[in-house]
Amino acid sequence: MNTLLKMDKVLLLVLVCLAALGIATLYAAVHHGDITIWQRQNIFWLLGIIIFVSVAFVPLRMIGLVTWPIYLLALLFLLLIPFIGDMQMGARRWLDLGIINLQPSELMKWALMLLLAHWFASREPTTIINFSAAAAITVVPAGLIAMQPDLGTALVLLFAASTMLLASGIRWRWVIGAVATSPVCLYLLWNNMHNYQKTRVLSFLDPQSDPLGAGYHVIQSGIAIGSGGLFGKGFMEGTQARLHFLPEQHTDFIFAVLAEEGGLLAVLLLLILYAITVSRILIIASRAHTRFGSLLCVGIASIFMLYIFVNIGMVSGMLPVVGVPLPFISYGGSALVTMLAALGVVMRVGIESKEKIPWQRPGSPLT
Amino acid sequence: MAILLLLLFARLINLQFYQHEGLLLQANKNRINVVPLLPTRGVITDRNGKGLALNHVSYQVQMISERVEDMDKTIARLQQLMAWSDQQVDNIRKRIRRARSDRPVLLADKLEWQSVAPLAARLHHFSGVNVIAGTHRYYPYDELTSHLVGYLSLAGPKDLRRGYLRTENVGHSGLESTMESMLHGTPGTQQEEIDAHGQRVAVLKQFPSEMGKDVRLSIDVELQEVASKALGNRTGAVVVMDVQSGELLTVLSKPGFNTNRFITGLEHEQWQSWIKDIRKPLLNRTTQAAYPPASTMKMVAGFAGLRHKIPLAAGRTECPGYLELADRKMRCWKRKGHKHVTLHKSLVQSCDVYFYELGDQLGMQRLVDEARMWGFGEQTGVAITPESRGQLPPSVQRLRDGRTRPWYRGETMITAIGQGLSTVTPIQMARFAAAIANGGKILKPKLYAGSEPTIIREVDVDDKHLKIIRKAMRDVIAEPKGTAHWALNWAPWSVAGKTGTAQVVAMAQDEEEEKLAKKTPELDRHKDHAWFMGYAPYDNPKVAFAIFVEHGGHGGSDAAPVANALIRKLAQQESERANAL
Repeated sequence: MNTLLKMDKVLLLVLVCLAALGIATLYAAVHHGDITIWQRQNIFWLLGIIIFVSVAFVPLRMIGLVTWPIYLLALLFLLLIPFIGDMQMGARRWLDLGIINLQPSELMKWALMLLLAHWFASREPTTIINFSAAAAITVVPAGLIAMQPDLGTALVLLFAASTMLLASGIRWRWVIGAVATSPVCLYLLWNNMHNYQKTRVLSFLDPQSDPLGAGYHVIQSGIAIGSGGLFGKGFMEGTQARLHFLPEQHTDFIFAVLAEEGGLLAVLLLLILYAITVSRILIIASRAHTRFGSLLCVGIASIFMLYIFVNIGMVSGMLPVVGVPLPFISYGGSALVTMLAALGVVMRVGIESKEKIPWQRPGSPLT
Repeated sequence: MAILLLLLFARLINLQFYQHEGLLLQANKNRINVVPLLPTRGVITDRNGKGLALNHVSYQVQMISERVEDMDKTIARLQQLMAWSDQQVDNIRKRIRRARSDRPVLLADKLEWQSVAPLAARLHHFSGVNVIAGTHRYYPYDELTSHLVGYLSLAGPKDLRRGYLRTENVGHSGLESTMESMLHGTPGTQQEEIDAHGQRVAVLKQFPSEMGKDVRLSIDVELQEVASKALGNRTGAVVVMDVQSGELLTVLSKPGFNTNRFITGLEHEQWQSWIKDIRKPLLNRTTQAAYPPASTMKMVAGFAGLRHKIPLAAGRTECPGYLELADRKMRCWKRKGHKHVTLHKSLVQSCDVYFYELGDQLGMQRLVDEARMWGFGEQTGVAITPESRGQLPPSVQRLRDGRTRPWYRGETMITAIGQGLSTVTPIQMARFAAAIANGGKILKPKLYAGSEPTIIREVDVDDKHLKIIRKAMRDVIAEPKGTAHWALNWAPWSVAGKTGTAQVVAMAQDEEEEKLAKKTPELDRHKDHAWFMGYAPYDNPKVAFAIFVEHGGHGGSDAAPVANALIRKLAQQESERANAL
């Protein structure tokens, strides 16, 4: 009980607001179709909250111990995917584990973040060996994910890893070097992309060139957002959503439903909630007693931020279409549960920073 | 982080504030579908309210191809059920390939309930296929009124430019065409909300269409039926006109064609067979075709002779059966000749020699002027298009090199008996008969019931002259030697009229026609055309008529009996009306 009371109140309140907004928006997105989607998501919320609370009780030391096993397990799943993965829309991304359908790439994001936090908790990224090892544990899963193919998640993985490298104090000339070599990387990336990925990128650059094909998603979501105006069309009144002009409206494009029905007002509310969430996580990171906890929070914040930016950027036509969910709003069990678990970790970091642990020695990486 | 969030926010302000109006418009364009509501076409009835062109409920078979599970199987089963030919199936497949897979494609339309019923009962086995009720034009009298009423066809490029919709029908011949603006009505629109699959979700707004106006014709379809029966399967035309109002009671051209075939989808072969048929079923013989007037022109010569006080008109001459002109013999139809002939006798017995002489003394100019006065050589202005003017010879002859020369005497002579260059349409002939009956009023033929008479001109004709000609026309029937005595003397009304027998030198135009003519012996292309025109009753004229039988033989024996049938019917109708009162 004592532990629960030590949870960060601001983050808790924002989470409640996001949950309410998410559940309402999802209802608006599916009420004219398959309502069981909404019911399932509510069960995922319950499950996620249980996990969230449970994780808050797990000492960070324990988390540190499981970083390698989780990472290796996720890597194993990724390796299994080409052999036993479910084929959906031309890509193998899902693993049927009997009880649940798991998306190993989703698991890997968090596993990598955990491992990197653990790795740099006791090491400085300024040595070539440390940096190369970190690069290796990032690039191997990213490559596997890109081969599924799921370019969006692979990029998220790379961006999250880079953020953590920066936070852990990388040398700036390496950053400059990375930026300098990026055109070469982009060229290699482009050549290895699948056709559907290329058309997505191209249609992002000029959506009107193929209004019924690849550009259709972006055009329709743009229309939905723009037609919402300042105050929106009203709850469950969005015509783009209601009449199915908006594709994927309960998953990746759910932001357009919110923007159409709630207008700029709802959009502003959501962005403020996100801003508070991310900044609160970073505040907790800065107050953390351990480098591990602090890096964990930075990693989690960066993944959140990337999700938010990539998703909204994609739906509003600023970025190409990549399959990234909108945190706490999009339908999807594994994404929601892992995000709640991650927030649980953040809470734990906050709790531990409030506890006076008598045997704590400065400089000890895992305490 | 703050930069990223601000970037997003800026983008969203751009979309939701600056681009809001344009994008809202697009959202509405997405969901709002404006569907035309086609007006119900006005109905055409005859003077007694009998339907000539009606709107019948009919059925369409439509398909949304993306909802069809197994296209080949579905089409095969539909073919079996609907009894489609392989060619029809090919066309249907083409249409399906060309159309969007989420929009309905028309597979077959204008179907009767009997033919869609088997499909409608099994519709649940045919996913993506639907049967939809609508209306189509139906012509109860079909062939009988085919030229008069005409038919509809789907709007063509010209009609689209005039603002018609692609799915609309437009009158393309007969009254359906000339009364199009009245019959058509005004289309309305309906704003529908559709979803992304193009399915209607709700009706938002409706601007109802305005029905087309119904048209009641002056035509008496029963009388037309009588005329048709009397003509039998001969080729020809019958026009019956009210002598006072100019209302047309019968406008019949034979052979007719099947107007309902146009509506239920005309096959190429059928159309070709109508076009190639040497009986020319598509030709409206009442207005479109002009024929030599033959002896019916003798009244014109008579009026001219009286008007210009030619002594012969009041006197007499000898008919030995021919008239010698230079080295030629101009024959009278009666080889033995008519002996002494006056104007009266030559009209009653249709002596040619008398009129050769009268024409010779009048000259071409005066003959043609008289004919023009009585309404020949000009369109009557009847609302049936296209209308021929017929033809009158010019007052001098134009040669091919552009020079002119006066007519030879022989040419003037045959013009006086209605041969040679002049041609007239049956409707002009009926109007001529009406003008004689009503005292010289040239009327515009009317097709609406109860319309006011329009007098185009009144011929300046002496009552005495009228009486002379009328008496002669009466005696064509009343005198035993009159050319129509045997056909009409016992008709219930006293009839005045004139026969005409136009010589035809219709040579086959090419070998193919010759073969065709030989194959159809009933169609003797060298037989004369038969005319009969006149009015009845003699003392109190009510109707005028013109009967034309193409290659019919003789006016008296072949055309006049048709008049007898008409007069019987009219008299019967009058007595029925009297009894009803």
